[in-house]
Amino acid sequence: METRVSNSLSVAQPHKKAPQWLWPLLWGALLMMSVFAMSAAEPLFRWIEPDARQVIYDRAGFVTLLGRHLFVVGIAAVVTIIVGVAAGIAVTRRWGSDFLPLVAQLASLGQTFPPVAVLALAVPVLGFGTLPIIVALMLYGLLPIVRNTLAGLQGVESEIKTAAHAMGMKPTQILCQVELPLAAPVILAGIRTSVTINIATAALGATVGASNLGDPIISGIVNGNMAYVVQGALTIALLALTIDSLFEVLQRQLRARISDD
Amino acid sequence: MIELSHVSKRFGDETAVDDISLRVAKGKFCALVGTSGCGKSTTLRMINRLIEHSEGDIILDGQAIDAYDPVKLRRRIGYVIQHTGLFPHWNVARNIGLVPRLLKWSATDVQSRVAELMHLLGLPVDEFGHKYPHQLSGGQAQRVGVARALAADPDILLMDEPFGALDPITREKLQDELAKLQARLHKTVVFVTHDMDEALKLADHLVVMREGRIVQQGSPLALLQSPADPFVESLLGGLERGLKQAALTRVKDHMTSMGPTLPAQSRIPGTFSLRQALSMMLRDHSDRLTVVDQHDVPVGELSLRRIIKEAQLDNGNPRE
Repeated sequence: METRVSNSLSVAQPHKKAPQWLWPLLWGALLMMSVFAMSAAEPLFRWIEPDARQVIYDRAGFVTLLGRHLFVVGIAAVVTIIVGVAAGIAVTRRWGSDFLPLVAQLASLGQTFPPVAVLALAVPVLGFGTLPIIVALMLYGLLPIVRNTLAGLQGVESEIKTAAHAMGMKPTQILCQVELPLAAPVILAGIRTSVTINIATAALGATVGASNLGDPIISGIVNGNMAYVVQGALTIALLALTIDSLFEVLQRQLRARISDD
Repeated sequence: MIELSHVSKRFGDETAVDDISLRVAKGKFCALVGTSGCGKSTTLRMINRLIEHSEGDIILDGQAIDAYDPVKLRRRIGYVIQHTGLFPHWNVARNIGLVPRLLKWSATDVQSRVAELMHLLGLPVDEFGHKYPHQLSGGQAQRVGVARALAADPDILLMDEPFGALDPITREKLQDELAKLQARLHKTVVFVTHDMDEALKLADHLVVMREGRIVQQGSPLALLQSPADPFVESLLGGLERGLKQAALTRVKDHMTSMGPTLPAQSRIPGTFSLRQALSMMLRDHSDRLTVVDQHDVPVGELSLRRIIKEAQLDNGNPRE
Protein backbone atom coordinates (compact mmCIF):
# COMPACT_ATOMS: atom_id res chain seq x y z
CA MET A 1 0.00 0.00 0.00
CA GLU A 2 2.89 2.27 0.88
CA THR A 3 4.31 1.87 -2.60
CA ARG A 4 1.07 2.81 -4.29
CA VAL A 5 0.80 6.00 -2.27
CA SER A 6 4.31 7.15 -3.01
CA ASN A 7 3.86 6.24 -6.64
CA SER A 8 0.88 8.46 -7.15
CA LEU A 9 2.55 11.29 -5.27
CA SER A 10 5.98 11.30 -6.82
CA VAL A 11 5.66 10.23 -10.42
CA ALA A 12 8.72 12.24 -11.30
CA GLN A 13 11.11 10.37 -9.05
CA PRO A 14 10.14 6.69 -8.76
CA HIS A 15 13.82 5.68 -8.63
CA LYS A 16 14.16 7.27 -5.18
CA LYS A 17 11.81 4.70 -3.72
CA ALA A 18 14.26 1.82 -3.74
CA PRO A 19 17.12 3.36 -1.70
CA GLN A 20 14.55 4.69 0.74
CA TRP A 21 13.60 1.19 1.91
CA LEU A 22 17.08 -0.22 1.46
CA TRP A 23 18.43 0.52 4.95
CA PRO A 24 15.46 -0.66 7.05
CA LEU A 25 15.38 -3.87 5.01
CA LEU A 26 19.11 -4.42 5.35
CA TRP A 27 19.24 -3.74 9.10
CA GLY A 28 16.04 -5.72 9.62
CA ALA A 29 17.50 -8.70 7.77
CA LEU A 30 20.69 -8.58 9.84
CA LEU A 31 18.61 -8.32 13.02
CA MET A 32 16.59 -11.37 12.02
CA MET A 33 19.79 -13.25 11.28
CA SER A 34 21.24 -12.41 14.68
CA VAL A 35 18.01 -13.36 16.45
CA PHE A 36 17.26 -16.61 14.64
CA ALA A 37 20.71 -17.80 13.64
CA MET A 38 23.08 -16.64 16.36
CA SER A 39 24.38 -20.21 16.79
CA ALA A 40 25.61 -20.21 13.19
CA ALA A 41 28.25 -17.73 14.29
CA GLU A 42 29.52 -20.08 17.00
CA PRO A 43 33.05 -20.41 15.49
CA LEU A 44 33.41 -16.64 15.63
CA PHE A 45 32.38 -16.45 19.27
CA ARG A 46 34.54 -19.49 20.07
CA TRP A 47 37.44 -17.44 18.75
CA ILE A 48 36.53 -14.58 21.12
CA GLU A 49 36.17 -16.87 24.13
CA PRO A 50 38.26 -20.01 23.41
CA ASP A 51 38.15 -21.25 27.04
CA ALA A 52 34.45 -20.76 27.86
CA ARG A 53 32.27 -23.84 28.31
CA GLN A 54 29.55 -22.24 26.23
CA VAL A 55 29.80 -19.35 23.78
CA ILE A 56 26.18 -18.86 22.62
CA TYR A 57 23.81 -17.39 25.20
CA ASP A 58 20.95 -19.87 25.61
CA ARG A 59 19.25 -19.16 28.94
CA ALA A 60 16.44 -17.65 26.89
CA GLY A 61 15.93 -17.58 23.15
CA PHE A 62 16.94 -14.36 21.40
CA VAL A 63 13.47 -14.15 19.86
CA THR A 64 11.91 -14.08 23.35
CA LEU A 65 14.44 -11.51 24.54
CA LEU A 66 13.78 -9.33 21.48
CA GLY A 67 10.04 -9.57 22.08
CA ARG A 68 10.38 -8.48 25.73
CA HIS A 69 12.77 -5.72 24.74
CA LEU A 70 10.34 -4.37 22.16
CA PHE A 71 7.47 -4.69 24.62
CA VAL A 72 9.23 -2.54 27.26
CA VAL A 73 10.38 0.08 24.74
CA GLY A 74 7.00 0.06 23.02
CA ILE A 75 4.97 0.63 26.20
CA ALA A 76 7.33 3.40 27.28
CA ALA A 77 7.17 4.98 23.80
CA VAL A 78 3.37 4.94 23.64
CA VAL A 79 3.07 6.55 27.07
CA THR A 80 5.80 9.16 26.45
CA ILE A 81 4.38 10.08 23.07
CA ILE A 82 0.90 10.59 24.49
CA VAL A 83 2.11 12.45 27.61
CA GLY A 84 4.86 14.39 25.83
CA VAL A 85 2.83 15.56 22.86
CA ALA A 86 -0.18 16.36 25.06
CA ALA A 87 2.01 18.40 27.42
CA GLY A 88 3.62 20.19 24.49
CA ILE A 89 0.22 21.05 23.06
CA ALA A 90 -1.20 22.13 26.41
CA VAL A 91 1.53 24.61 27.26
CA THR A 92 1.47 26.21 23.81
CA ARG A 93 -2.25 27.02 24.15
CA ARG A 94 -3.11 30.39 25.57
CA TRP A 95 -4.67 28.85 28.72
CA GLY A 96 -1.62 26.68 29.42
CA SER A 97 1.16 29.12 28.63
CA ASP A 98 1.80 29.77 32.33
CA PHE A 99 3.14 26.21 32.60
CA LEU A 100 5.49 26.46 29.63
CA PRO A 101 8.72 27.10 31.64
CA LEU A 102 7.78 24.47 34.23
CA VAL A 103 7.14 21.73 31.67
CA ALA A 104 10.27 22.56 29.69
CA GLN A 105 12.31 22.35 32.89
CA LEU A 106 10.73 19.14 34.17
CA ALA A 107 11.39 17.45 30.86
CA SER A 108 15.06 18.37 30.83
CA LEU A 109 15.34 17.32 34.48
CA GLY A 110 14.15 13.86 33.42
CA GLN A 111 16.99 13.71 30.93
CA THR A 112 19.72 14.77 33.38
CA PHE A 113 18.60 12.11 35.86
CA PRO A 114 20.60 8.97 34.99
CA PRO A 115 18.37 5.97 34.21
CA VAL A 116 20.42 3.87 36.63
CA ALA A 117 19.50 6.24 39.44
CA VAL A 118 15.84 6.05 38.44
CA LEU A 119 16.08 2.27 38.63
CA ALA A 120 17.75 2.40 42.03
CA LEU A 121 15.00 4.65 43.34
CA ALA A 122 12.14 2.83 41.59
CA VAL A 123 12.96 -0.70 42.67
CA PRO A 124 12.18 -0.18 46.40
CA VAL A 125 8.84 1.34 45.44
CA LEU A 126 7.81 -0.72 42.45
CA GLY A 127 9.72 -3.94 43.15
CA PHE A 128 11.90 -5.91 40.75
CA GLY A 129 10.79 -6.63 37.22
CA THR A 130 9.54 -4.80 34.19
CA LEU A 131 7.72 -1.89 35.83
CA PRO A 132 10.76 0.09 37.13
CA ILE A 133 12.51 -0.05 33.77
CA ILE A 134 9.37 1.18 31.99
CA VAL A 135 9.18 4.09 34.45
CA ALA A 136 12.86 4.90 33.90
CA LEU A 137 12.46 4.81 30.12
CA MET A 138 9.38 7.03 30.30
CA LEU A 139 11.21 9.68 32.30
CA TYR A 140 14.26 9.45 30.10
CA GLY A 141 12.39 9.50 26.80
CA LEU A 142 10.08 12.36 27.65
CA LEU A 143 12.47 15.25 27.04
CA PRO A 144 13.14 14.85 23.30
CA ILE A 145 9.42 14.49 22.65
CA VAL A 146 8.32 17.45 24.77
CA ARG A 147 11.17 19.61 23.48
CA ASN A 148 10.48 18.82 19.84
CA THR A 149 6.71 19.17 20.23
CA LEU A 150 7.31 22.64 21.68
CA ALA A 151 9.80 23.55 18.95
CA GLY A 152 7.52 22.20 16.23
CA LEU A 153 4.41 24.01 17.42
CA GLN A 154 6.25 27.25 18.16
CA GLY A 155 7.87 27.03 14.74
CA VAL A 156 4.54 27.38 12.91
CA GLU A 157 4.58 30.90 11.45
CA SER A 158 2.30 33.27 13.29
CA GLU A 159 1.02 34.60 9.93
CA ILE A 160 -0.35 31.16 9.16
CA LYS A 161 -2.04 30.86 12.55
CA THR A 162 -3.46 34.38 12.24
CA ALA A 163 -4.83 33.54 8.82
CA ALA A 164 -6.39 30.32 10.10
CA HIS A 165 -7.97 32.26 12.94
CA ALA A 166 -9.20 35.02 10.67
CA MET A 167 -10.79 32.56 8.23
CA GLY A 168 -13.01 31.39 11.09
CA MET A 169 -11.30 28.14 12.09
CA LYS A 170 -11.96 27.01 15.65
CA PRO A 171 -8.96 26.44 17.97
CA THR A 172 -9.22 22.65 17.69
CA GLN A 173 -9.46 22.89 13.90
CA ILE A 174 -6.35 25.10 13.83
CA LEU A 175 -4.51 22.60 16.03
CA CYS A 176 -5.48 19.47 14.12
CA GLN A 177 -5.52 20.80 10.57
CA VAL A 178 -2.75 23.38 10.65
CA GLU A 179 -0.42 23.29 13.64
CA LEU A 180 0.05 19.54 14.16
CA PRO A 181 0.52 18.68 10.47
CA LEU A 182 3.09 21.45 10.12
CA ALA A 183 4.87 20.49 13.35
CA ALA A 184 4.74 16.75 12.57
CA PRO A 185 8.22 16.40 11.05
CA VAL A 186 9.84 18.03 14.08
CA ILE A 187 7.71 16.04 16.54
CA LEU A 188 8.54 12.83 14.69
CA ALA A 189 12.25 13.64 14.92
CA GLY A 190 11.83 13.91 18.71
CA ILE A 191 10.02 10.57 18.88
CA ARG A 192 12.80 9.04 16.80
CA THR A 193 15.49 10.29 19.20
CA SER A 194 13.49 9.16 22.21
CA VAL A 195 12.80 5.65 20.94
CA THR A 196 16.32 5.08 19.64
CA ILE A 197 17.90 6.15 22.94
CA ASN A 198 15.46 3.99 24.86
CA ILE A 199 16.25 0.86 22.86
CA ALA A 200 19.79 1.11 24.20
CA THR A 201 18.78 2.24 27.68
CA ALA A 202 16.27 -0.59 28.12
CA ALA A 203 19.17 -3.05 28.42
CA LEU A 204 19.64 -1.72 31.96
CA GLY A 205 16.38 -3.47 32.83
CA ALA A 206 18.32 -6.72 33.02
CA THR A 207 19.93 -5.46 36.23
CA VAL A 208 16.56 -5.26 38.01
CA GLY A 209 15.19 -8.52 36.74
CA ALA A 210 13.39 -7.33 33.62
CA SER A 211 14.51 -9.94 31.18
CA ASN A 212 15.36 -8.52 27.73
CA LEU A 213 18.26 -8.18 25.30
CA GLY A 214 20.29 -6.73 28.17
CA ASP A 215 20.38 -10.20 29.77
CA PRO A 216 23.28 -11.59 27.72
CA ILE A 217 25.28 -8.43 28.40
CA ILE A 218 24.79 -8.51 32.17
CA SER A 219 25.27 -12.26 32.28
CA GLY A 220 28.42 -11.94 30.18
CA ILE A 221 29.85 -9.29 32.49
CA VAL A 222 29.04 -11.29 35.59
CA ASN A 223 30.50 -14.56 34.20
CA GLY A 224 33.38 -12.91 32.38
CA ASN A 225 32.05 -14.18 29.05
CA MET A 226 32.81 -11.61 26.37
CA ALA A 227 30.93 -13.57 23.70
CA TYR A 228 27.61 -13.08 25.56
CA VAL A 229 28.26 -9.35 25.83
CA VAL A 230 28.93 -9.08 22.11
CA GLN A 231 25.77 -11.04 21.27
CA GLY A 232 23.56 -8.82 23.41
CA ALA A 233 25.20 -5.59 22.26
CA LEU A 234 25.10 -6.62 18.61
CA THR A 235 21.41 -7.49 18.68
CA ILE A 236 20.51 -4.26 20.49
CA ALA A 237 22.57 -2.23 18.03
CA LEU A 238 20.88 -3.91 15.06
CA LEU A 239 17.44 -3.33 16.61
CA ALA A 240 18.26 0.34 17.18
CA LEU A 241 19.51 0.72 13.59
CA THR A 242 16.43 -1.01 12.18
CA ILE A 243 13.99 1.18 14.11
CA ASP A 244 16.02 4.32 13.43
CA SER A 245 16.10 3.69 9.68
CA LEU A 246 12.34 3.02 9.73
CA PHE A 247 11.84 6.44 11.30
CA GLU A 248 14.08 7.92 8.63
CA VAL A 249 11.76 6.56 5.95
CA LEU A 250 8.70 7.80 7.82
CA GLN A 251 10.19 11.28 8.17
CA ARG A 252 11.12 11.44 4.54
CA GLN A 253 7.60 10.47 3.49
CA LEU A 254 6.12 13.06 5.80
CA ARG A 255 8.40 15.75 4.43
CA ALA A 256 7.57 14.70 0.89
CA ARG A 257 3.88 14.98 1.62
CA ILE A 258 4.28 18.49 2.97
CA SER A 259 6.73 20.08 0.57
CA ASP A 260 6.51 18.14 -2.67
CA ASP A 261 3.94 17.20 -5.22
CA MET B 1 -22.03 48.55 5.67
CA ILE B 2 -19.38 48.98 8.33
CA GLU B 3 -19.63 51.72 10.89
CA LEU B 4 -17.14 52.54 13.64
CA SER B 5 -18.15 55.14 16.17
CA HIS B 6 -15.77 56.44 18.82
CA VAL B 7 -13.76 53.24 18.80
CA SER B 8 -10.64 52.97 20.95
CA LYS B 9 -8.20 50.17 21.64
CA ARG B 10 -5.86 50.16 24.59
CA PHE B 11 -3.08 47.65 25.22
CA GLY B 12 -2.31 48.20 28.89
CA ASP B 13 -1.39 51.86 29.19
CA GLU B 14 -0.79 52.28 25.52
CA THR B 15 -3.56 53.58 23.30
CA ALA B 16 -3.22 52.01 19.87
CA VAL B 17 -6.44 53.40 18.43
CA ASP B 18 -7.88 56.59 19.85
CA ASP B 19 -11.54 57.49 19.42
CA ILE B 20 -11.96 56.92 15.71
CA SER B 21 -15.23 57.11 13.79
CA LEU B 22 -15.68 56.11 10.20
CA ARG B 23 -18.32 54.66 7.94
CA VAL B 24 -17.83 52.51 4.88
CA ALA B 25 -20.96 52.32 2.76
CA LYS B 26 -21.93 49.01 1.14
CA GLY B 27 -19.88 48.30 -1.96
CA LYS B 28 -17.34 51.04 -1.24
CA PHE B 29 -13.59 50.76 -1.08
CA CYS B 30 -12.06 52.38 1.99
CA ALA B 31 -8.29 52.70 2.38
CA LEU B 32 -6.64 53.27 5.76
CA VAL B 33 -3.33 55.01 5.17
CA GLY B 34 -0.58 55.97 7.56
CA THR B 35 2.97 55.29 8.66
CA SER B 36 3.68 52.04 10.49
CA GLY B 37 2.38 51.88 14.05
CA CYS B 38 -0.40 54.37 13.41
CA GLY B 39 -3.09 51.86 14.38
CA LYS B 40 -4.41 51.09 10.91
CA SER B 41 -3.88 47.33 11.13
CA THR B 42 -5.30 47.26 14.65
CA THR B 43 -8.38 49.04 13.34
CA LEU B 44 -8.76 46.44 10.61
CA ARG B 45 -8.38 43.53 13.01
CA MET B 46 -10.99 44.94 15.35
CA ILE B 47 -13.56 44.60 12.57
CA ASN B 48 -13.30 40.78 12.44
CA ARG B 49 -12.59 40.57 16.17
CA LEU B 50 -9.06 39.27 15.87
CA ILE B 51 -8.56 42.09 18.36
CA GLU B 52 -11.41 43.11 20.64
CA HIS B 53 -11.97 46.86 20.82
CA SER B 54 -11.90 48.55 24.22
CA GLU B 55 -14.45 51.29 23.69
CA GLY B 56 -17.04 52.48 21.21
CA ASP B 57 -19.24 50.56 18.79
CA ILE B 58 -18.45 48.68 15.64
CA ILE B 59 -21.62 48.05 13.66
CA LEU B 60 -21.83 45.57 10.81
CA ASP B 61 -25.02 45.56 8.74
CA GLY B 62 -26.90 47.25 11.55
CA GLN B 63 -25.73 44.91 14.30
CA ALA B 64 -22.94 45.46 16.83
CA ILE B 65 -20.11 42.98 16.20
CA ASP B 66 -20.15 41.95 19.87
CA ALA B 67 -23.52 40.35 19.13
CA TYR B 68 -22.03 38.01 16.53
CA ASP B 69 -20.32 34.73 17.35
CA PRO B 70 -16.68 35.57 16.50
CA VAL B 71 -16.12 32.38 14.49
CA LYS B 72 -19.28 32.89 12.43
CA LEU B 73 -18.44 36.57 12.02
CA ARG B 74 -15.01 35.76 10.58
CA ARG B 75 -16.44 33.21 8.17
CA ARG B 76 -18.52 35.94 6.54
CA ILE B 77 -15.65 38.41 6.28
CA GLY B 78 -12.86 37.86 3.76
CA TYR B 79 -9.35 38.54 5.04
CA VAL B 80 -6.14 38.99 3.07
CA ILE B 81 -2.73 39.58 4.67
CA GLN B 82 0.68 40.64 3.42
CA HIS B 83 2.49 37.32 3.42
CA THR B 84 -0.68 35.49 2.35
CA GLY B 85 -0.75 33.12 5.37
CA LEU B 86 -1.52 30.27 2.97
CA PHE B 87 -1.22 26.83 4.53
CA PRO B 88 2.03 25.41 3.15
CA HIS B 89 0.89 21.80 3.53
CA TRP B 90 -2.27 22.28 1.47
CA ASN B 91 -2.38 22.68 -2.28
CA VAL B 92 -3.88 25.77 -3.89
CA ALA B 93 -7.34 24.30 -4.44
CA ARG B 94 -7.59 23.13 -0.84
CA ASN B 95 -6.38 26.48 0.48
CA ILE B 96 -9.02 28.36 -1.51
CA GLY B 97 -11.79 25.98 -0.47
CA LEU B 98 -11.11 26.45 3.25
CA VAL B 99 -13.99 28.68 4.30
CA PRO B 100 -16.63 26.94 2.16
CA ARG B 101 -15.58 23.66 3.77
CA LEU B 102 -15.79 25.24 7.23
CA LEU B 103 -19.32 26.31 6.27
CA LYS B 104 -20.02 22.66 5.38
CA TRP B 105 -20.66 23.20 1.68
CA SER B 106 -20.93 19.96 -0.31
CA ALA B 107 -17.71 18.74 -1.93
CA THR B 108 -18.99 19.44 -5.43
CA ASP B 109 -20.05 22.97 -4.51
CA VAL B 110 -16.62 23.66 -3.03
CA GLN B 111 -14.94 22.27 -6.11
CA SER B 112 -16.92 24.36 -8.56
CA ARG B 113 -16.53 27.49 -6.45
CA VAL B 114 -12.75 26.99 -6.32
CA ALA B 115 -12.63 26.54 -10.09
CA GLU B 116 -14.74 29.67 -10.57
CA LEU B 117 -12.49 31.79 -8.36
CA MET B 118 -9.28 30.50 -9.86
CA HIS B 119 -10.63 31.35 -13.29
CA LEU B 120 -11.61 34.81 -12.04
CA LEU B 121 -8.08 35.44 -10.77
CA GLY B 122 -6.35 34.09 -13.84
CA LEU B 123 -5.00 30.90 -12.29
CA PRO B 124 -6.12 27.91 -14.41
CA VAL B 125 -7.23 25.08 -12.11
CA ASP B 126 -5.48 22.42 -14.20
CA GLU B 127 -2.18 24.21 -13.90
CA PHE B 128 -2.32 25.60 -10.39
CA GLY B 129 -4.93 23.63 -8.43
CA HIS B 130 -2.45 20.98 -7.34
CA LYS B 131 0.52 23.24 -6.73
CA TYR B 132 1.70 24.03 -3.24
CA PRO B 133 2.18 27.60 -2.03
CA HIS B 134 5.98 27.37 -2.11
CA GLN B 135 5.81 26.62 -5.82
CA LEU B 136 4.05 29.91 -6.58
CA SER B 137 5.52 33.32 -7.30
CA GLY B 138 4.68 36.13 -4.89
CA GLY B 139 2.01 37.49 -7.19
CA GLN B 140 0.41 34.09 -7.75
CA ALA B 141 0.42 33.34 -4.03
CA GLN B 142 -1.31 36.62 -3.26
CA ARG B 143 -3.91 35.90 -5.96
CA VAL B 144 -4.59 32.63 -4.14
CA GLY B 145 -4.83 34.64 -0.91
CA VAL B 146 -7.46 36.88 -2.48
CA ALA B 147 -9.32 33.88 -3.90
CA ARG B 148 -9.37 32.27 -0.46
CA ALA B 149 -10.79 35.45 1.05
CA LEU B 150 -13.52 35.58 -1.61
CA ALA B 151 -14.33 31.87 -1.46
CA ALA B 152 -17.54 31.98 0.56
CA ASP B 153 -18.64 35.15 -1.27
CA PRO B 154 -18.43 37.48 1.76
CA ASP B 155 -19.91 40.97 1.55
CA ILE B 156 -16.95 42.40 3.39
CA LEU B 157 -13.30 42.11 2.51
CA LEU B 158 -10.50 43.18 4.87
CA MET B 159 -7.07 43.55 3.31
CA ASP B 160 -3.96 44.20 5.40
CA GLU B 161 -1.16 45.51 3.15
CA PRO B 162 -1.87 42.69 0.70
CA PHE B 163 0.61 43.85 -1.93
CA GLY B 164 3.27 45.21 0.43
CA ALA B 165 5.72 42.36 -0.10
CA LEU B 166 5.53 42.28 -3.89
CA ASP B 167 7.87 43.83 -6.42
CA PRO B 168 6.61 47.11 -7.95
CA ILE B 169 5.59 45.62 -11.29
CA THR B 170 3.63 42.73 -9.79
CA ARG B 171 2.14 45.09 -7.23
CA GLU B 172 0.83 47.41 -9.90
CA LYS B 173 -0.58 44.50 -11.88
CA LEU B 174 -2.42 43.13 -8.85
CA GLN B 175 -3.72 46.60 -7.99
CA ASP B 176 -5.19 46.86 -11.48
CA GLU B 177 -6.71 43.41 -11.15
CA LEU B 178 -8.17 44.25 -7.75
CA ALA B 179 -9.70 47.45 -9.16
CA LYS B 180 -11.29 45.45 -11.97
CA LEU B 181 -12.49 42.78 -9.55
CA GLN B 182 -14.02 45.41 -7.28
CA ALA B 183 -15.80 47.06 -10.21
CA ARG B 184 -17.42 43.69 -10.84
CA LEU B 185 -18.06 42.34 -7.36
CA HIS B 186 -18.81 45.52 -5.35
CA LYS B 187 -17.56 44.21 -2.03
CA THR B 188 -17.33 46.46 0.98
CA VAL B 189 -13.56 46.69 1.28
CA VAL B 190 -11.35 48.01 4.06
CA PHE B 191 -7.80 48.15 2.78
CA VAL B 192 -4.75 48.97 4.91
CA THR B 193 -1.63 50.33 3.23
CA HIS B 194 1.25 52.72 3.78
CA ASP B 195 1.52 53.33 0.05
CA MET B 196 -0.43 56.49 -0.75
CA ASP B 197 -0.32 55.89 -4.51
CA GLU B 198 -1.93 52.51 -3.99
CA ALA B 199 -4.62 54.06 -1.81
CA LEU B 200 -5.30 56.89 -4.28
CA LYS B 201 -5.56 54.42 -7.10
CA LEU B 202 -8.00 52.04 -5.45
CA ALA B 203 -10.04 53.85 -2.83
CA ASP B 204 -13.40 55.59 -2.92
CA HIS B 205 -12.83 56.79 0.60
CA LEU B 206 -9.45 57.62 2.08
CA VAL B 207 -8.71 57.64 5.80
CA VAL B 208 -5.38 59.06 6.93
CA MET B 209 -4.30 57.89 10.37
CA ARG B 210 -1.53 59.05 12.67
CA GLU B 211 -0.73 57.89 16.19
CA GLY B 212 -4.04 56.09 16.56
CA ARG B 213 -6.18 58.97 15.40
CA ILE B 214 -7.85 59.84 12.14
CA VAL B 215 -6.22 62.99 10.78
CA GLN B 216 -8.43 63.39 7.74
CA GLN B 217 -10.89 61.37 5.70
CA GLY B 218 -12.72 61.90 2.46
CA SER B 219 -12.58 61.11 -1.24
CA PRO B 220 -9.09 60.95 -2.77
CA LEU B 221 -9.75 64.10 -4.82
CA ALA B 222 -11.00 65.99 -1.78
CA LEU B 223 -7.85 65.13 0.16
CA LEU B 224 -5.59 66.04 -2.73
CA GLN B 225 -7.32 69.39 -3.13
CA SER B 226 -7.25 70.39 0.50
CA PRO B 227 -5.01 68.36 2.79
CA ALA B 228 -5.84 69.09 6.41
CA ASP B 229 -2.28 69.57 7.63
CA PRO B 230 1.39 69.28 6.57
CA PHE B 231 1.45 65.59 7.57
CA VAL B 232 -1.34 64.67 5.18
CA GLU B 233 0.21 66.87 2.55
CA SER B 234 3.57 65.14 2.83
CA LEU B 235 1.86 61.73 2.67
CA LEU B 236 0.13 62.90 -0.47
CA GLY B 237 3.50 63.64 -1.99
CA GLY B 238 4.01 67.36 -1.35
CA LEU B 239 4.85 68.95 -4.70
CA GLU B 240 3.77 65.82 -6.56
CA ARG B 241 0.19 66.39 -5.45
CA GLY B 242 -0.75 68.02 -8.73
CA LEU B 243 0.41 64.99 -10.65
CA LYS B 244 -1.34 62.60 -8.30
CA GLN B 245 -4.54 64.50 -8.80
CA ALA B 246 -4.04 64.36 -12.55
CA ALA B 247 -3.55 60.60 -12.19
CA LEU B 248 -7.08 60.29 -10.80
CA THR B 249 -8.73 62.08 -13.71
CA ARG B 250 -9.39 60.37 -17.00
CA VAL B 251 -8.60 61.94 -20.37
CA LYS B 252 -12.08 61.03 -21.62
CA ASP B 253 -13.75 63.33 -19.11
CA HIS B 254 -11.75 66.39 -20.14
CA MET B 255 -11.24 66.16 -23.85
CA THR B 256 -12.77 68.66 -26.23
CA SER B 257 -14.31 67.79 -29.55
CA MET B 258 -12.04 67.72 -32.58
CA GLY B 259 -11.13 71.22 -33.70
CA PRO B 260 -10.83 72.46 -37.28
CA THR B 261 -7.03 72.21 -37.21
CA LEU B 262 -5.06 69.11 -38.20
CA PRO B 263 -5.22 66.44 -35.48
CA ALA B 264 -2.09 66.14 -33.34
CA GLN B 265 0.34 63.31 -34.11
CA SER B 266 0.37 61.83 -30.61
CA ARG B 267 -2.56 59.62 -29.72
CA ILE B 268 -3.80 58.68 -26.27
CA PRO B 269 -6.65 56.32 -25.30
CA GLY B 270 -9.50 58.04 -23.50
CA THR B 271 -9.23 55.71 -20.52
CA PHE B 272 -5.73 56.98 -19.69
CA SER B 273 -5.20 59.57 -16.94
CA LEU B 274 -4.35 63.23 -17.30
CA ARG B 275 -1.01 62.40 -15.69
CA GLN B 276 -0.22 60.00 -18.50
CA ALA B 277 -1.36 62.64 -20.97
CA LEU B 278 1.05 65.18 -19.45
CA SER B 279 3.86 62.67 -19.62
CA MET B 280 3.11 61.98 -23.27
CA MET B 281 3.15 65.72 -24.03
CA LEU B 282 6.56 66.06 -22.39
CA ARG B 283 7.88 63.08 -24.28
CA ASP B 284 6.56 64.13 -27.67
CA HIS B 285 7.22 67.87 -27.26
CA SER B 286 3.62 68.56 -28.07
CA ASP B 287 0.96 70.61 -26.29
CA ARG B 288 -1.87 68.74 -28.00
CA LEU B 289 -2.93 65.10 -28.06
CA THR B 290 -5.50 63.25 -30.14
CA VAL B 291 -7.80 61.18 -27.97
CA VAL B 292 -8.77 57.78 -29.39
CA ASP B 293 -11.27 55.12 -28.37
CA GLN B 294 -10.49 51.43 -27.89
CA HIS B 295 -10.49 50.86 -31.65
CA ASP B 296 -7.87 53.61 -32.13
CA VAL B 297 -10.46 55.89 -33.76
CA PRO B 298 -9.99 59.62 -32.93
CA VAL B 299 -12.84 60.89 -30.77
CA GLY B 300 -11.52 64.21 -29.49
CA GLU B 301 -8.49 66.19 -28.50
CA LEU B 302 -6.77 67.38 -25.36
CA SER B 303 -4.58 70.43 -25.00
CA LEU B 304 -2.14 71.42 -22.26
CA ARG B 305 -4.12 74.60 -21.69
CA ARG B 306 -7.21 72.47 -21.16
CA ILE B 307 -5.52 70.27 -18.57
CA ILE B 308 -4.37 73.28 -16.56
CA LYS B 309 -7.79 74.85 -16.76
CA GLU B 310 -9.45 71.62 -15.62
CA ALA B 311 -7.15 71.45 -12.62
CA GLN B 312 -8.35 74.92 -11.67
CA LEU B 313 -11.98 73.89 -12.13
CA ASP B 314 -11.42 70.80 -9.98
CA ASN B 315 -9.94 72.92 -7.27
CA GLY B 316 -13.09 75.00 -7.41
CA ASN B 317 -11.29 78.32 -7.86
CA PRO B 318 -12.95 79.98 -10.87
CA ARG B 319 -16.29 78.23 -10.39
CA GLU B 320 -17.03 79.58 -6.93
